[in-house]
Amino acid sequence: MLSLIIALFSGAVGGLVVAMIPETKNRLRNYIVLFFAASSTFFTWRTAFMVFAGESVRVAGELGGLAFSLDPDPLGAVFGLIASTLWPFTAVYSFGYMAGKHKQRTFFTFFLMSLTMTLGVAFSGNLIALYLFYELLTFATYPLVIHERSAEAMKAGAKYILYSLSGAGAILIAIVLTYAWSGKLDFSGGPILANSLSPGLNWLLVLFVGGFGVKAAIMPLHRWLPAAMVAPTPVSALLHAVAVVYSGVYGVLRTVYSVFGHELIGQLGIRNILPWIAVITILAGIVIAARQDVLKRRLAYQTVSHLSYILLGAFILNEWGLAGAIFHMISYSTLKITLFFCAGIISEKTGEIKVSKMGGIGRSLPKTMVAFSIATMGMIGMLPLNTFWGKYYLMKGSVGAGKWPLAVVLIISGILNAICFVPVIINAFKGECTKTNGEKGGGVSLMLAPTLVLVIVALLIGLMPGIVWPGVEAVVNWFY
Amino acid sequence: MISAITTNLPVFIIIAPLFVAFVLPTWAQRKRLVENLVISVEILMLLGTCYLASIVLLQKGIPIIYQMGGWSAPWGIELKVGSLGTFFLLTVAIVSLPVALFARGNLTHEVGGKERVARFYVLYLLLIGALGGMALTNDLFNVYVLVEVATLSCCGLVSARNHPRAAKATFTYLILATLGSCLVMGGIGFIYIVTGHLNMGFASQELGRIWQNNPRVVWMAFSFMLVGFGVKSALFPLHVWLPDAHSVAPSPASAILSGLAVKGYLICLLKVLYNVFGFYLMRVYSVHKIMVLVGMVAIISGSISALTQEDLKRRLAFSTVAQVGYIFLGFGLLNTKGLTGTLFYLASHAVIKSTLFLSAGAMLNATGKKNIKDLSGIGRKMPITTAAFTISSLGLIGIPLFSGFVGKWQLLMGSMETGSILPVSVIISGSVLCAAYLFPVIRIAYFGTAPEKDCKDPNLPQKLALIFLSAAIVFLGVIPGSFLELANRAAAELLVLR
Repeated sequence: MLSLIIALFSGAVGGLVVAMIPETKNRLRNYIVLFFAASSTFFTWRTAFMVFAGESVRVAGELGGLAFSLDPDPLGAVFGLIASTLWPFTAVYSFGYMAGKHKQRTFFTFFLMSLTMTLGVAFSGNLIALYLFYELLTFATYPLVIHERSAEAMKAGAKYILYSLSGAGAILIAIVLTYAWSGKLDFSGGPILANSLSPGLNWLLVLFVGGFGVKAAIMPLHRWLPAAMVAPTPVSALLHAVAVVYSGVYGVLRTVYSVFGHELIGQLGIRNILPWIAVITILAGIVIAARQDVLKRRLAYQTVSHLSYILLGAFILNEWGLAGAIFHMISYSTLKITLFFCAGIISEKTGEIKVSKMGGIGRSLPKTMVAFSIATMGMIGMLPLNTFWGKYYLMKGSVGAGKWPLAVVLIISGILNAICFVPVIINAFKGECTKTNGEKGGGVSLMLAPTLVLVIVALLIGLMPGIVWPGVEAVVNWFY
Repeated sequence: MISAITTNLPVFIIIAPLFVAFVLPTWAQRKRLVENLVISVEILMLLGTCYLASIVLLQKGIPIIYQMGGWSAPWGIELKVGSLGTFFLLTVAIVSLPVALFARGNLTHEVGGKERVARFYVLYLLLIGALGGMALTNDLFNVYVLVEVATLSCCGLVSARNHPRAAKATFTYLILATLGSCLVMGGIGFIYIVTGHLNMGFASQELGRIWQNNPRVVWMAFSFMLVGFGVKSALFPLHVWLPDAHSVAPSPASAILSGLAVKGYLICLLKVLYNVFGFYLMRVYSVHKIMVLVGMVAIISGSISALTQEDLKRRLAFSTVAQVGYIFLGFGLLNTKGLTGTLFYLASHAVIKSTLFLSAGAMLNATGKKNIKDLSGIGRKMPITTAAFTISSLGLIGIPLFSGFVGKWQLLMGSMETGSILPVSVIISGSVLCAAYLFPVIRIAYFGTAPEKDCKDPNLPQKLALIFLSAAIVFLGVIPGSFLELANRAAAELLVLR
């Protein structure tokens, strides 16, 4: 239990400490940020192992007259692990990226706060805790979105808040209805709505999926995400490719498995539409991505598309689908962060943000572009990258559920990912680039190191999926 | 001696502020003395209220009936110190103390010289006394007297500042409030004609027996009461006086007016509706449906109007209109959860609105401007004030961990029991709109460009007041405990079949 508390609050405590360090003391601040991020990672791993071993790690109490509990199950543990493990990587990257930039104190304060809020979502044991941390996550990430303080950033921030709070409003209505119909809010002890079959359940599912779908970037609720790319690249990489969007995805997974239960959804009329909602987002997302010239926006739409892989896995409603979803959660996050990190290195060293102008940078930034290429292979879903396995299980699940067109969609999506990004890579290695002197400089090594390590991790997982398989298996066995 | 005080505590709590108000003008020149007297009365009131509340909680909800002057009802005026009474009395005490503290640091700036400050305090104490009376009274004509006292003090408070629009705002308020009082008087008259009683308990018993003989008169009584109290508590569409009045008044006055005065009238309406008419008659005349409907309209229209205001205090005033809509909606729910929620929401809003107006007042005084966009960057220069504003905004929006969420949750549960999802959607849409009109202020304050003028946090009394109120918002949000229990008992009492 102590591990859980420390893991959860390391971020918030760290954020408060950082808020008190003066703006100029960068080195001290960097060490402190790394310390708190790493301590959160360490204790999250401890908590996760306890959860996987079957121990119950529960902190329950009353908050404002309502029951409130933190009770990670394997799904929460996996999400927590993904988030907390990637945070120190992003922290190191940020030290390089943010060097010399303004408002670092504000940046790192909320950077660490967001860690606590994300872990709070992951570890939540009932709908009240989930809602609380979900709302707080929006507020903790807002200052990061508007960091540049430009007019565009403020507009993006306003859009972000508007979309997020509207989604949260829908979720609250859904929670109220759930509580009124079932009297339960806790995730333990089986799906909450297991024994209530009523016509309103379809609409309740729509409310939940719509509410969480804002953060999970389901189309057409995704529009805040490309706008939020105006934030600094570490924010785009971690938060809007992993932490915030995964809390939305996690919310949908919780809805499907802990609130409704896969058996109940199997009986609802709406069950056949759900996978197709994911399909639309998968395909439309990557198609729109191909039309973007700004690299970060292209990556943003690719994010929109890939998040729905995970949702597709959930909506297929069988074990392989869930396995695929969890596997994709783990593997996609490493690669997406890598892609964004590369985009950040490119923009920092060459000043280029548009794909059309990135001819020849592969020669000046070889390591970066190699990492980018490997990560793109992963996005296509090729061996030896880890995403292959996620896609494989998803396709297996689709066919197993009798929905083989979904497997075809996944293959088409892989091809579209290739069409979208392979030209970028080829262009990067053609011709000369005079804009930069290469990957030299202390800032760059801080940015490059996490990128390369993550690529290697992705390759390792791809070659030996058995590393993460126990975690995936634990989640699937928990719900089936 | 002590036992004499404790047995007569209910009336002392009401009379102490009134008494001090009457003697205050004699010492108008001695500002320190005036301020200290006011604070002392407030503290005594808070202590007395806590004592009464603990007794009522221990008695498990059996009210203490106090007869004024020893005359028993129906000839004498009765004070019913029950869960509802102590709940609202606690709210009044908890909010008026920090506001008085804030006024101590703020009034010379906003109101003027020593004599004007003393006059302000006189009106302030009269209002507090009247509100205390409204909490406890069990007699209809007493309600009218207290409503009149409150109205006139409010009008005086609104005009206290030397604002160019003060005279017009006060005059509008006076006319409309008097109209409201007349309607209330009419309603009381109708009830008296039909039942022959002014004591609420007796009137309701009688009404339960003979309402079918005079159904139309009872209906007139309902409508007069609803409209009369509706005008005074700024229910849409009778709210037109509120934005002018509350934006023109000095900050402590706006806080008390939006925070407590409006609530006092709502509590009186609650008592009349549930203790005199009873929920059965409410259902017969479909009053509850009207209230839910009007409440929903008020929430949406108040919030949308708030969005369009550039002036910060006017924005907060329209926000009050919306929040009164929530409370009105809750009154119409006719179930325990709904009434508990609405009562807790009422108290929570009293604390939150006061904090909002006080911190807004401090910010506006420091910059000398009145529009939101002029408050750019003030968060760095006035951290405590802006933090208080942020905490109370989050409370108003209904974020968990703050008191607003506790009340809203109960309201949502109560709305669910009506069977329709419309109230639930409107309540949550209201929260989203609330975020829409409060968040820009926070954003501009914290993330805007730095201000040119040199502003800093207000002086100590004002800071203490803001900190106390913000702490109360968080405390009630995390550990509502006995306070929620009081509200729950009050709701149960109101729904007893008469």
